[in-house]
Amino acid sequence: MGAAALFVGQAVIGNVGVFPLWSKNYSPVREGKSLVSASLSADQMLFALAGFRELIAGILWVRADSFFETGNYDAILPIIRLVTMLDPHQIDVFATGMWHIGYNFTDEDQRSDRRYLPSAVALGTEGAEENPETYEMFFETSWLWYHKIEDNYPAAVKWMELAHQKQDILPARRNLLARLYERNGQVDKSIELWFKLSDEAEKTLKADTEKRNYSLRTNRDTIEGNLDTLLVRMSQRGFFNQKAGGSYTDYDTNPPFDVGFSAKVTVVDEKVLKIQGTWNVLSIGSRIRCVLRDADYPDAIKGSVDWEAQAKSVNLDPPRDRTYMQEGLFVRNQRFEKKIDMSRDPTMYPMVGKNYVIEFYYNPRSAPAHIQDKFGWNGEGMTDKNLSNMSTDARPGMKVLYASLPITKEQLLLRGEWTDKVPVVKTANYAETDKNYVETPDKIDIPGLPGKK
Amino acid sequence: MRPVIAIAKATVGEAIRRRVLLIILFIAILLLAVAPLLGVLSARQEQTVLTGFVLGIVQLSSAVIAITLTVYMLPNEVERRTIYTILSKPVQRWQFLIGKYLGAVAALAIMMGLMAVVSVLEFGLFQQDWAKGISLLQAYGMFFIQMSLLASVAICLSTFVAPLVNFFLTGGIYLIGTLGYAFFDSFNKNPNAPVLGKGMAFIVSSILPNFASYNVQNPLINPETTIQNPTMYAVNAVLYGLFYIMIMLIIGMLMFDRKEV
Repeated sequence: MGAAALFVGQAVIGNVGVFPLWSKNYSPVREGKSLVSASLSADQMLFALAGFRELIAGILWVRADSFFETGNYDAILPIIRLVTMLDPHQIDVFATGMWHIGYNFTDEDQRSDRRYLPSAVALGTEGAEENPETYEMFFETSWLWYHKIEDNYPAAVKWMELAHQKQDILPARRNLLARLYERNGQVDKSIELWFKLSDEAEKTLKADTEKRNYSLRTNRDTIEGNLDTLLVRMSQRGFFNQKAGGSYTDYDTNPPFDVGFSAKVTVVDEKVLKIQGTWNVLSIGSRIRCVLRDADYPDAIKGSVDWEAQAKSVNLDPPRDRTYMQEGLFVRNQRFEKKIDMSRDPTMYPMVGKNYVIEFYYNPRSAPAHIQDKFGWNGEGMTDKNLSNMSTDARPGMKVLYASLPITKEQLLLRGEWTDKVPVVKTANYAETDKNYVETPDKIDIPGLPGKK
Repeated sequence: MRPVIAIAKATVGEAIRRRVLLIILFIAILLLAVAPLLGVLSARQEQTVLTGFVLGIVQLSSAVIAITLTVYMLPNEVERRTIYTILSKPVQRWQFLIGKYLGAVAALAIMMGLMAVVSVLEFGLFQQDWAKGISLLQAYGMFFIQMSLLASVAICLSTFVAPLVNFFLTGGIYLIGTLGYAFFDSFNKNPNAPVLGKGMAFIVSSILPNFASYNVQNPLINPETTIQNPTMYAVNAVLYGLFYIMIMLIIGMLMFDRKEV
């Protein structure tokens, strides 16, 4: 009887007083995650739980380094996953792993395999969750959104704001949030933050009475320079005048500039595309995004994919039956022409589905400053005679270039009725280039001050 | 109580003379001594690796010592027939069992204490970080409860199971009680886990001893980890251990009482 009472007692204490707290504070399993789903083998699992996690994780990471040197990237992925599970506080592995997954899997022409992006984002998210006391993984994840994924600036801002809240963030990295606000079209917030950062930098510099820390001065000067430049841009782009309810007719961004976009895609060989078109904008910073993807690619949005929606877990196997190719088309003499050969990378471009879409996309927020001076932060300064090339619903609160052309698997693989024919898809306004056309150097048209066009 | 203390004292003396235990202890101390050299093998901060390794060595060797010490304790007495001379005196069987258990726990405390001293000296002398070394003592305290629980399981099983079988059985229970809880936790935290699986995990975790509760090394290895209610947790874990030890000893006493020797 006594033993039975003790048995019930231990079960109650164990399940009420010990297990929940252990689960919260000491368990190697994180909330919402399953060790079983982590694909660890039995021996790996034993290592993970037997008390030598940090040592084994460290040794594995050194081993991964040798794979980096030999370019054996596939071998690194499972090691990264294992190391982050064994030792979730090794931030370097999360940061390097995220970069590796996001950037290093490429085709023969160095185009990234973007099907890996959700895993890269998920790894960054996991790293931040595991290490909430430091800014590092918040910053790294933000950087992935900003630099690699490029046009989901709200996500980049969200992560950078979280990094900004951490005490250990480096001054130069703090400044990046102001840049991101600008990219995200939050110009008011950007200028407000620049002023705040400027005040803080000035105070820190004054506190350094011995004037020994040169980096403080550099940081203050950098912030001032950026602040000045942004103020000038805001003024020149008519930001202040618009806000004050004044006239908005005599600025670089108004009247809108006709980008004159048109495109034609020719399938010159099996999985080989020749893309030609017109784009009436300066060369530098004018890369137009071209995407070829399954027509029903999961979570597809105009010109991209909602990678955030897909970044639920770190999955080392991207969807092998899906095709997603993204390329930047370089513009020269107001034209672009590019041959894209996907035939050498069958695993990256399996082309299993029946229907595909080729998309052209240009987001003015990703453009360099001199282009933005024409187009504005939100694309208000760009238009196209063929208005169907402009989209105001692709991204909230802005105007982007967007055109899409449907294409079939048979056309891409030159099969069926296309065995002896050359498949061509093009925008309605595409006009063939004059055969006598001679290429001349780019005409550089620098935006002028208001009224001095 | 006197017979219990006398048997416990004799058990301690016997334990520290057993060569196999001394060899395990020697290997553990040797590994602790070379532990600082392993830091260079890893990309991680040297002290982090050292802390993890030292705690791992102490825990693993203590578990091996605890099992080896207790599985042979009663069978050896029967085999060597020394039990007859003891039980012919005014000593109850339960007193004999409790005395043996307390002796084993005391011997375990001496050996773990020795390893703890070596590890504290290691951090103090080689890493110049006495505070870190001393902070490990809280983990050793929890390990001690864990090993006492393990010893109670082994001694309980030794009343009705052959030593070799007991060795693997206790080892298996320790493994499940340590690693299995991470799986149970995994079930609980996974929203997609089947309800039946969660129910089974609950039943099994209510029956088996939870050795994982005493694995509290994570915040020591990664000091930035935030821990909620550590004191309350420690009190609950110790209480849980005492309850379970008592259950094991009561079952052991009942079985030993019916055993023909």
